[in-house]
Amino acid sequence: MSYRDGTVVGTRSMGSRLLGVHWPVVALLCLLAGIGLVAQYSVAGGAFTPWADKHALRFVLTIGMVLAVAMTPLRWWINLALPGYALALLLLALVPMIGSEALGARRWLAIAGMTFQPAELMKVALVLMLARYYQWLGADRVSRPQWVAVPLVLIAMPVALTLKQPDLGTAVLFAVCGLSLMFLAGVNLMYFAAGAMAVVTMAPLIWGRMHDYQRRRVEIFFDPEKDPLGAGYHITQSKIALGSGGLSGKGFMQGTQSQLNFLPEKHTDFIFTTFAEEWGFSGAVGLIGLYLMLAMLMLAMAVGCRNQFGRLVIAGAGIVMFVYAFINIAMVMGLVPVVGVPLPLVSFGGTSMTTIMFAMAIAMCAYVNRTQGLRPRI
Amino acid sequence: MFHSHDDDDTQRTRFSRRAALIGIGQVLGFGAVATKLYQLQVMQGSLYAPMADDNRINVQLIAPVRGRILDRFGTLLAGNDEGFRVVLIPSLAGNVRQVLERLARIVPITPDDLDKLAARARRQQPNVPLIVSNELDFEQISSIGLLAPQLPGVQIETAASRRYAAGEAAAHVVGHVGNVERAALDDDPLLRLPGFRVGRTGVERGLDERLRGRGGSIKYEVDARGRIVRTLSQTPPVKGDDIALTIDTELQRVIGERLSREKRASAVVIDTQAGDVVAMVSVPTHDPGDIVKGATAKTWAKLKASGNEPMLNRAIRGQYPPGSTFKMVTALAALEAGVIDLKGRVDCSGQTELGGQTFRCWKRSGHGPCDFHRALRESCDCYFYEIARRTGIDAIAAMGRRLGFGQTFDTGLALQKPGVMPDAAWKRGRYNKAWLGGETLLAGIGQGYVLATPLQLAVMTARIASGRAILPRFVRPDVGETPAVADELGLKPALLEAVRRGMAAVVNEDGGTGGSAKLDDGKALVAGKTGTAQVSRASADRNGQDLRWEQRDHALFVAYVPAGKPRYAISVVVEHGGGGGATAGPVVRDIVAEVLARDPAGRPSYPDLAGAPPAATGGRRS
Repeated sequence: MSYRDGTVVGTRSMGSRLLGVHWPVVALLCLLAGIGLVAQYSVAGGAFTPWADKHALRFVLTIGMVLAVAMTPLRWWINLALPGYALALLLLALVPMIGSEALGARRWLAIAGMTFQPAELMKVALVLMLARYYQWLGADRVSRPQWVAVPLVLIAMPVALTLKQPDLGTAVLFAVCGLSLMFLAGVNLMYFAAGAMAVVTMAPLIWGRMHDYQRRRVEIFFDPEKDPLGAGYHITQSKIALGSGGLSGKGFMQGTQSQLNFLPEKHTDFIFTTFAEEWGFSGAVGLIGLYLMLAMLMLAMAVGCRNQFGRLVIAGAGIVMFVYAFINIAMVMGLVPVVGVPLPLVSFGGTSMTTIMFAMAIAMCAYVNRTQGLRPRI
Repeated sequence: MFHSHDDDDTQRTRFSRRAALIGIGQVLGFGAVATKLYQLQVMQGSLYAPMADDNRINVQLIAPVRGRILDRFGTLLAGNDEGFRVVLIPSLAGNVRQVLERLARIVPITPDDLDKLAARARRQQPNVPLIVSNELDFEQISSIGLLAPQLPGVQIETAASRRYAAGEAAAHVVGHVGNVERAALDDDPLLRLPGFRVGRTGVERGLDERLRGRGGSIKYEVDARGRIVRTLSQTPPVKGDDIALTIDTELQRVIGERLSREKRASAVVIDTQAGDVVAMVSVPTHDPGDIVKGATAKTWAKLKASGNEPMLNRAIRGQYPPGSTFKMVTALAALEAGVIDLKGRVDCSGQTELGGQTFRCWKRSGHGPCDFHRALRESCDCYFYEIARRTGIDAIAAMGRRLGFGQTFDTGLALQKPGVMPDAAWKRGRYNKAWLGGETLLAGIGQGYVLATPLQLAVMTARIASGRAILPRFVRPDVGETPAVADELGLKPALLEAVRRGMAAVVNEDGGTGGSAKLDDGKALVAGKTGTAQVSRASADRNGQDLRWEQRDHALFVAYVPAGKPRYAISVVVEHGGGGGATAGPVVRDIVAEVLARDPAGRPSYPDLAGAPPAATGGRRS
C-alpha cells in the first residue's frame, strides 16, 4: 500500500517550495551548530583540528541534506516508513549477533567498511512509522484497544532490542518519543493514566524482589555520586566545572576543567559542561533557551500542518531533539544517570548529527508540504 | 470504500491541544534544568571554584639551602656540598617498574629497594619526585643523560648534602641532620618534602628553625594526568641563617685528643665573663659525616658495638653525682645562712653519726679540727656533713639552683638534661616520702640524689669565679654587639672571696687535693676543686682497690684560671676514672695550658656574619 500526493501535487515550483521552508528553524539549527563549533574549537585548545573542522563540515553537509530533502515529495517518505521501520528493526535485531562491541555495549554494525548504529536509523524510522500509522488509522479508531496495542508493539520492539545492548538512553528516547506521538495522535488519556498507575504499582513490587546487589546497582545508577570512582567521578568533575564557571564563566578557552582534561568526554557528551564552564550561567541558560525556542517552533510547525502524518513527523523530530537535549543537560548536572546521550548539534559526533538532521530534514519536508491533504491509494 | 484520511477538524484540534500540553511539559523540563543550573553555577559557584583550582594547581616546594655553622673564628663546622641525585617522577614515567629496572643498570638499586620504590610510587601523588639515589658520580650522570629517551620521568637534581668539616672534633656540639621524624612534623610543609633533612642533635637541632630557612614554591598548572602544563608563579626559597658558634674548633680538637686517653669523659670550657662555651668535648665521639651519608645498619652497629655510646654528648646529657665539687654550694649556703663563720671549726674524727647511721669522711683517720679554708682545701667530708646538717636541704638546694644546678640553659644546644637538685618538696613529689636528715648530709657532699651535668659544673664554677649569674651560650653574638653583663649573684663578696681562696688552696697549697692540676710552668695559678663521685657501695667499702672498671668512682674536677683574675672555667668528668685529683686533675692541667695558650675569648672573632667584613664597610665610608 502506498500513498499518492493529494490534489495540489506537482503544481508548486521549486521557488515556492524553498519559500515554504521554515527559515527561522534553519537559522536556529545554524546557531546551535555554530555554538558547537565554538565549543569544539575551544576544547581543542584553540584549534580547528581535530574536532571543530569536522563538525563544521558535517553540519554544512547535513544542512544541505535538510534543504534537499525538504524539496522532495512527501509521499516518498510516507511510502518509505514501513520498509524503513522493518529494515531498522531487522538490523537492530542483528546487532547482538554480528555487531561489534565497544565500551561494554554492542551497538555497532559494520557495513561495507563503515560502522553504523541501527539504533540511529530507528530513531527516524520509528517517528515515520508511527506518523504513517496514525495517518492511515484515522481519528475514529485511535483509542480502540487493538489499535492502541499496535503502536505499543511498534515502540516496544526497538525499546527491548536497545535495552539488550544495553543502551538505556536510546531506549528511553524511543519510549518517550513513541508515547508522546501516541499522545499527540489523540489516544485516550485513560490509557496513559492506566499505564502510569501500572508503573507506580509495579515498581515497589519489582524492587522488593530484587537482590541487594541489584538494588545497589540501581541506587548507584540513580545517584552516581555514591560511586565516586566510576560514573560519580564524571559527574563530580562536571559539577565542579559547571560550578566554577559561575555566572559569567571563565571566558572563551579558559575553562580549566575541560582544557586540562579533568572533564571526561569533554567534546562529546560533556560539551554542555565545557560550554557552561567557559560562558557561565548566562551562556548556558542562553543555550537552553535556544533549544526551548527550537522545540516550541517545531510544535508550532506541527500545529500549522494540514495532515496527521506531517504533524506527527514534525512533532516527532522536535521531541527527539528535546529529549536529546534534556537528557544530556540533566545528565551533566547529575540530575539523571549518565547514559551517554549527546547534545544535539553541539556535541562532536557524526552519527548523532546525521540522525538529528535527517529527522529535521523529513520534518522540514512535511512542513513544506503542510497544506497537502493525503489520500491513500489502493 | 476507504476512510477519507484527509485532515479532519477534530483530529487537528485535539493535536493542537495536546501539542500545547507537550510544549508546557518541555518548558517545565528546561525550566527544571535551568533552575538546577542556577543553583550550581550562581548559588554554589563559590563552593566549586576552589575545587577546580585544587584540581589544576599543583604546588611544588623548593627546599632552601641550610645555613652554615661556623666556629667563633669563622672556621666552617657544617656546610653544604652540592651533589647530584637521581629522582623519578611517577606521573611522567608511565611504567614506573620498567623505568626503574632500566635505571638499575646504571645506578645500583637492589631488587628490594626497587620493590619499595615501586610501591611508594603507587601510594603517593604522581607529581612528587621519588628519590632513587642520592649519590651519583659523573659517569652515572652522563650515562643517564645518554639514555634519557628510555628513561621517561628520570631527572637529575642538584641536592645539597650536609658536610661536617670539623668531623669528630665538634660532633656533639654541632650535631647532625637527619630525616624528619613523624612526631616532629610541624606546620612547615618543607618537612614533608621527600629527602628533606632537619637537625636531629646538637645545634643543628636546637637552632633548626634559623638554619632551615624558608621554602620557596613553584605553582604549576597540571592536567588531569598530573602533567605540568605551565608555571603559574614562583617564590624563591630563603636561605637559612649562617650561625657562628662560640666554640674554638682547634681547642675542641686538642681537648678531644687529651680526653681520648680515657674511656668515657667530657669537658666544658666556659669564658667566665660572657659565658661563651669555648669548648665542649665528649668522648668517645663519632663523625657526623658518616651518619648523614645515609647511616647504614652497619654504621649504626659499629657505633653501638663499643658500648660507650659515642653519639651521647656526655657534657650535657651525662648526669653525675658532683661529689666534692658540690662542696662550694654547701659552703656558700651555710656561710650565707650564718650557721658557721669562716673561723668556725668542726672536729673531724673520720666519721659522723646521725640517727644511728655512720657517715664517713674519705680520710678514715680524720682531719682533726678544720676551719672552712682547710676543710675545702682538703675536702673534709665531716666538716661539710656538719654544716649541711645545720643549713638544711632547702637552703642548700636554693644555693645550688642559684649556681646553675637542676636546670637547663636556653643556649641553642638541644637535648640538655637538667640533672637533679633535690629538696624536701622534690622528694615528696618524686617518691612521696619525707626528706630524711641523713640525706641532707649526703647532698652536702654532692652525693645522694644530687646529679649534675658537666655543663652545669662549668657554669657553677664560672659563677663562683665571676660572682655573676653567668649563662652559657653557644651562639656567638655579632661582632660589635655590646656584650650583656650577667646579673650579680648577690652573694657577699667576702664569702665568695673565701671560697675562691679555698679553691686556689686546693690546687696550690700543701695538703690540697688538687695539686695535680697545677701548671708545670707556673704561668698562671689554677683554682679548682676535686670530686670523687661514688657510684657503688663497693667502692666505699674497698676504698678504690681492685674494682671492676664500672664500679670505680667517677673522677671530677672543676677549675677556673687564672686564680686571681678568672677568665675561664673548666669542668672535667672522667667516668669511672677513680679519684678526682688523681685522674681528672692532670686532664684539667693540660686543658688549662692549652686554653691559656690559645686564649680564644681574648682574640677577636671573625668574620662578622651580619654584614660585610668591617674593613669593607669602613672603606665605603671614607
